[in-house]
Amino acid sequence: MSRRAAGWVLALALVLVLGSLAWWWQSGRGGGRSGRRGAAAEEAGAAATERHAFDLYFPSAGGGLRAERRELQVSEAPKDRIRKVLEAVLAGPAATATPGDPPAGKEGAARPAPPGKGAPAAAPVAAPAASGLVRPFSPEVKLGGVELSADGTAFVDLRWPDHDDPPESGSTEEIQRVYSLVDSVALNVPQVNRVVLLWNGTQRITFAGHLDTSRPLLPDRTLLAP
Amino acid sequence: MTELHRLVSVATLLLALPLLLAAQIGRPEAPPRGPAVVLDGRELPVAVTITPAGPLFALRPLVDSLGGQLGGEDTGESYNLKIEATEVVTGIGNAIITVGEEIVSLSQPPVRGQGGPLVPLDFLRKTYGAVSGYSFDWRPEDSRLVISRRESREIKVLLDVVHLQGMTTVVLQFPETPRYRLNQQPGVVEVQLLADRLAPPVRKKVDDSLVQDVTFAPQLVRIQLVPDAEVESYLLDNPFRLVFDVHRKSAAPVPIGPSAATFDLRSNTRTIVIDPGHGGTETGAIGPSGVAEKELTLVLARDLEARLIQRLPVRVVLTRNDDAKLPLDNRTAIANQNKADLFISLHLNSSLGSGAHGAETYFLSSQATDTRAESAAASENVGGAPAAAGDAGQENQDLQMLLWDLAQTHHLAESQRFAGLVQAELNQALELRDRGVKQAPFRVLMGAAMPAVLVELGFISNPDEEAKLQNPAYRANLVEALVRAVGRYLEPPQAERRSTPPLPPTQGAVRSNPGSPTPP
Repeated sequence: MSRRAAGWVLALALVLVLGSLAWWWQSGRGGGRSGRRGAAAEEAGAAATERHAFDLYFPSAGGGLRAERRELQVSEAPKDRIRKVLEAVLAGPAATATPGDPPAGKEGAARPAPPGKGAPAAAPVAAPAASGLVRPFSPEVKLGGVELSADGTAFVDLRWPDHDDPPESGSTEEIQRVYSLVDSVALNVPQVNRVVLLWNGTQRITFAGHLDTSRPLLPDRTLLAP
Repeated sequence: MTELHRLVSVATLLLALPLLLAAQIGRPEAPPRGPAVVLDGRELPVAVTITPAGPLFALRPLVDSLGGQLGGEDTGESYNLKIEATEVVTGIGNAIITVGEEIVSLSQPPVRGQGGPLVPLDFLRKTYGAVSGYSFDWRPEDSRLVISRRESREIKVLLDVVHLQGMTTVVLQFPETPRYRLNQQPGVVEVQLLADRLAPPVRKKVDDSLVQDVTFAPQLVRIQLVPDAEVESYLLDNPFRLVFDVHRKSAAPVPIGPSAATFDLRSNTRTIVIDPGHGGTETGAIGPSGVAEKELTLVLARDLEARLIQRLPVRVVLTRNDDAKLPLDNRTAIANQNKADLFISLHLNSSLGSGAHGAETYFLSSQATDTRAESAAASENVGGAPAAAGDAGQENQDLQMLLWDLAQTHHLAESQRFAGLVQAELNQALELRDRGVKQAPFRVLMGAAMPAVLVELGFISNPDEEAKLQNPAYRANLVEALVRAVGRYLEPPQAERRSTPPLPPTQGAVRSNPGSPTPP
């Protein structure tokens, strides 16, 4: 092989390598761009919101739950719907009276604060709205993370900093609190079959000493007022 | 020319490599090795038979290498294998074996081979693996079973000593199930870990009238009792706990109410466990005037205990008799340990908004039992046979779920019957709104191996009812209604009725409550 021939072989190899690089650049980068465009389009789709009517289940002063029809701005994404529904439930029923307002009759009367019990755990959550509906938790309780597993289990984390335990209560109050969230999510978001509630990131055996919250809860329609 | 030489060398190498690889691939394969069993890098003379259901291993040479005693070959039908202190009984053709007191299912039955039984892989895991800590790693690609000794782990142990009603309960809590042996001698209980090491809790002095001390060594927990004490032990799951109930020999093994001794315990005496709701830092509901649910439930429970003992041939146990925090699972454990006939959890209610009022009686919802059965099956899957255990393992799980379901169905039906009686008596005695019999997945009712109800005796959040509940006469009416409900529940069939202190008559039959669910 002459020196000239070897040079041609090297040049050919170089051309092949450069050609491959150029092809990779085009296909890879171009593909990546189209992938990003796809994802962006998906995000845009998920982000596109519309007003949608939901039945939110609030504790009623008589001890059960009652629906309040509300329109919320939501996307198609189930997690977004879960979050929006829960945020609306935690924010309380429409036109909630402030704790200082006069009671709305015997069944709708606000629970007075126990004397000498300053702990928010036992304090009244809110006076009922004119409808007799009550906010389930103190306004300081916020929604943390929300996850939805493939089997339809929604994981919902409630956050109340500096409160290791959820509010102490009797069983009806605990049922009202827990199922206002469980029913509102599971009966409004078709992708949700059951709900796991966490408190400050931890799954608890019970919230207030009665309901077993260590496993997923199915919605309970028997609590709903007709 | 030097560059040309380099180019030629590189080209030659590039050409030579594929040729060398091809030559390597083309070489005739080494003769395949047969199945083998390896312990600590040493091949054991163990015959291995590959079957469609998995490999089978000759047991006798394994026993020679791993330790233990194999007996019973004379019959040829069943074999007894003793590993350390654990007896393993296995039969030829039977996929069920016993390991100590446990019944264990295998993926395939042992078969008779030359010189002794051939056993499947899960036999080894569930015997030598569980008892002696060996691990068995089957590598199907080269048909090798690699046996290794599991390294000892350090397991954190938590200690809790609680004294209630003349009985001390010592709880050792582990993050996972350890392999252990229990040695019980007069005055001493020892928990001997067989492979793992203990990370003991922070040393604290045990100040108890029945337990002198609890000491920890790397593989030993020693519970030193006072001379006249004796102990009963049992297990709790999730997390794994070893529980020791210590009481004096002279006393009955369970706490008994003051008047119970007047009844013949061998007769039809029933045991009622009363659970005063909440306690300690768990106040329960707080009424508008500041009354805590935990205080009134304890008062009501003590009153109910006294009335029951006075009026019925029953033994009564309170889950707590002071203002103590008691985990919900421990409350049902107390009932199970006392082989109770009835479990009654007393509560006072609250609601969001002060309007709710009235009494209601709960029993466990079937949804809760279904979920629990699933959970039990899931834990069986985790702690029991591996996923590939096969049909026998699955059948065993199905059987356990069926047995659980049958037991729960029976208890649910009885719980519903008793809940109906309680609600009827409360409605009869008190001018309360009848909120009916209800079902809910209440934790304190789960795991109770007897009919169990949770009674909400009124809304402490309602100012009117809170005031009533603070009135001793009103509480006496509530207690009387509960006593009548218990009496009616325990009432023997007409033919077997014997002379018992008469109960005040109850008018009318059990009323059906509008809120009553359909029978489970």
